[in-house]
Amino acid sequence: MKAVILAAGEGKRLRPFTETMPKVMLPVANKPVLEYVFDAVKKSGIDEIIVVVGYKKEVIMEYFKDYEDVKINYVVQDKQLGTAHALLQAKKHIKDTFIVLSGDNIIDKNSISNLIKDKSEYSILIKEHPNPSKYGVVFLEKKILKKIIEKPREEVGKFISTGIYKLPSTIFNDIKELTSQGHYALTSVIQSIIKENKKINTVTAESWMDIVYPWDLLTINEAMLNNAPASVSGIIEKGVTMKGAVSIGKNTSIYSGCYIVGPVIIGDNCEIGPNACIFPSTTIGNNSVVNPFSEINNSVIMDDVQIRSNSYISHSIIGKGTIIGNNFSNISGKTTVEIESEFKKLEKLGAIIGEDCNIASNVVVEPGIIIGKRCEVGSLNRITKHISSNSKVM
Amino acid sequence: MCGIIGYSGFRDADNVIIECLKRLEYRGYDSAGIGIIDDKLKIYKEVGEIKNLEKNLPKFKGSTGIGHTRWATHGSVTKENAHPHLSSNKKIAVVHNGIIENFRKLKDDLLKKGYKFLSETDSEVIAHLVQDNYKGNLEKAVFSALKKINGYYAIVAACSDEPEKIVGARKDSPLVIGSGDNENFLASDITAFLKYTNRVIYLNDGETCVATNKDIKIFDENNKPVQRDEDLIKWNLKDAEKSGFSHFMLKEIYDQPDTVHNVFRGRISEVNRAVEFNEKVENLLKNGIDSINIVACGTSYYASLVGKYLIEKLTNIPVNVELSSEYRYFGTRRESSLVIAVTQSGETLDTLAALKEAKNSGCKNLVITNVIGSTATRISDAYILTQSGPEIGVAATKTFTSQILVLFLLALKIGMIKNKIGADELYNYILNLKDLSRNVRIVLDQSNDILEIAKKIKNSKSVFFIGRGINYPLSLEGALKLKEISYLHAEGFAAGELKHGPFALLTKDTPVVAIVTRGPTYDKIIANIGEVKARGPKVIAVADDLDNEIEKHADFVLRFPSNSELLSCIPIAVLLQLLAYHVANLRGCSIDKPRNLAKSVTVE
Repeated sequence: MKAVILAAGEGKRLRPFTETMPKVMLPVANKPVLEYVFDAVKKSGIDEIIVVVGYKKEVIMEYFKDYEDVKINYVVQDKQLGTAHALLQAKKHIKDTFIVLSGDNIIDKNSISNLIKDKSEYSILIKEHPNPSKYGVVFLEKKILKKIIEKPREEVGKFISTGIYKLPSTIFNDIKELTSQGHYALTSVIQSIIKENKKINTVTAESWMDIVYPWDLLTINEAMLNNAPASVSGIIEKGVTMKGAVSIGKNTSIYSGCYIVGPVIIGDNCEIGPNACIFPSTTIGNNSVVNPFSEINNSVIMDDVQIRSNSYISHSIIGKGTIIGNNFSNISGKTTVEIESEFKKLEKLGAIIGEDCNIASNVVVEPGIIIGKRCEVGSLNRITKHISSNSKVM
Repeated sequence: MCGIIGYSGFRDADNVIIECLKRLEYRGYDSAGIGIIDDKLKIYKEVGEIKNLEKNLPKFKGSTGIGHTRWATHGSVTKENAHPHLSSNKKIAVVHNGIIENFRKLKDDLLKKGYKFLSETDSEVIAHLVQDNYKGNLEKAVFSALKKINGYYAIVAACSDEPEKIVGARKDSPLVIGSGDNENFLASDITAFLKYTNRVIYLNDGETCVATNKDIKIFDENNKPVQRDEDLIKWNLKDAEKSGFSHFMLKEIYDQPDTVHNVFRGRISEVNRAVEFNEKVENLLKNGIDSINIVACGTSYYASLVGKYLIEKLTNIPVNVELSSEYRYFGTRRESSLVIAVTQSGETLDTLAALKEAKNSGCKNLVITNVIGSTATRISDAYILTQSGPEIGVAATKTFTSQILVLFLLALKIGMIKNKIGADELYNYILNLKDLSRNVRIVLDQSNDILEIAKKIKNSKSVFFIGRGINYPLSLEGALKLKEISYLHAEGFAAGELKHGPFALLTKDTPVVAIVTRGPTYDKIIANIGEVKARGPKVIAVADDLDNEIEKHADFVLRFPSNSELLSCIPIAVLLQLLAYHVANLRGCSIDKPRNLAKSVTVE
């Protein structure tokens, strides 16, 4: 069976990180989200993947050029009009029943296998979710899908659509008809199929995770680190303490006096320490540096990042290539963050800092602050407001 | 300059050879041909790119064959001059890469013996000469034939009387053996057969080899059998794909944030304040070096000129950069000086010859190259790899910046050994190196601004690039990139030299790109811009992002980020590459395969 993976979207709510990469390439435990999807799909027995790409497609195609054991075809969606329109781009590759899934949701292989095995012509994967209000809530009758309500304002049900379907190739006729009327979302196509009295069977997913906001990266990173295998290469100097599942990449040096408590993943070609502390649920990307006496806790540090001495980083995300000066400190705590004119309350969040920023020494950042990409922050600043990309704080 | 391939195995040889030729197309693409041993020896040739050959090729049976993609040296681009060349009895076919210096005499002798020539090429001589020496064994015939030849060559021959055999030989031109399961390959480079096998055997100069689908035999220059082990190639064929970019060149420009990192991967340590190379290189540098000669061609030559500036600045050792083709005949050789050969492919004929000259004169020598296992790495005392991954675009991009960075690391290392650089200074340079990736990313992000400037210069008669100090070789490289892919006339000049001649060329249709860094000669280059503008041309300044003065002087400004004057050469180089790319793209040029050019030049 073939799988169509939708990976064309930009992910505006995940800015500043999505200014330079598509949403599906955001790293979780040093692997892009899309790679988890590829892995699950491959292991569930799919033999060919059709990836619909669009926004910053080169980043995806370059990363997966060496991906093995499954055939990958790319199709391009030039304008990101909607999920049904995206799926339509894959039409020429599909002759039989297929599955479609989104490249930005982490899914396990068993759920996909169960979906494939399901006897019904149309099937959908659903999942119970604690915050159903931002998804399509599903209504069932004897496991048959009756209705999907998109982003209900009141709590109407707990089960939501994961957006993962098994569909016959005839679906493309329905999509063509609906997109010609200006309906570009896959949910609208599914609603119309329900109206035609076709039965859509529901299958419950085991685990499914979605990334909508930047801080979702922290939760998902934490979850995925628990499953990541520990493996140590590189140079570990005498006097380093490592507990729990710690994974250290090739060519990385961990200098004396470092204290690392897993689950932690550190990528290739890094230099850590001496005397640095890395605490659980932290991921550090490739080519990054952590200088002496710094502490990093429950954070995602991407590639090429430099963290200078005496810094404290907790519940934070630091984008690729950013330099964090000496004595940096972020306060992590309760906060309300505004994203795309929505206000989100969060129990605990540190700083979110985009790609290629330059933060000078002795800077303090308050909880939930988002600093855009390529910003410069002068020394001795206290950052209390969001900073948009390419800004300078004197 | 050509690509050659030979195959003996179990698959349909025509398909395999076409596939391999596509991988060799960068070596030449004006005509191509294949020869397959079907019921008899069958040849098919076409003028143009490989896809032209593939389209018109009749179906051959047979699982032994040879192929060739040509970049003309002797004789014009015609079907007759394309390879393979057949012997007069139509039983032996030969493909050849190289030049036969005594071919006129050999041809006269063969004509006297009654052999008929169908082409104007030097290569055809080999086919007839092999027939002339053939007594039932192809490798013996090839061996005897090659003894009569002066010049350099890599050849593959096949004979319909011995249908499972291909015979190869090389002297000063590349040929490698690919060892598969029940199939074997001979090719100009590894990428040709990497799809089928990653096991490689290197053939040395003067050696001959015979491959069938079962086994491989190698003979030395006295025709004695040689045993040689296989090497495993780690990189993957897919490293050489476009990944959604419209051209290889563009992909390779965008590879640079990673390739700059790869240069210092495992070579610098921030905590230890150290630059480290492999043992051979370290030993070479430890012994007193009082001067350096760098030999290189083309883009590598310009990278070396940048390197000269860096090494002299950081070590105070005099550096002399020479074109390989000049050095090999006219250069001075001193035993106390270190000769550094810079070549992307490790196969550039002139550079190899210069390297051999240096070696013969007893000079210590070091190679900077991108290709492990290339001839240059095998004949030099020591080598440093640029670790850039395969470069397919004919116009060098990422290997240019990587070569500069290797030279920079060398300068740091020698500076440390000579006590010219202290630990703290080194630490600062290491931090600057680590900033390079992001500085390159920032330039890449300005692609649209650069495109706007490209629109302004695409219809110019000529474009001039000027700079001082380290920016002078960058001007040369900027001009080279532009002319080689966009076919616009372009020249680079040292800014101070303009008034000594080139001024006469300035008109309002000749925009000038001025590279401006805020170093000791800042005021001078600003004055030069004034002089240029007074004569009518528009000036495009390439300036760092904190330069607030420049807008007052130049018509347009392109910005690069900089926190170190020495290393600003890297983002500037990337900016100039993008400018050349956009101009060529707007002019509709064949960017990855510019006319008349080939990727690695293995002829003189």
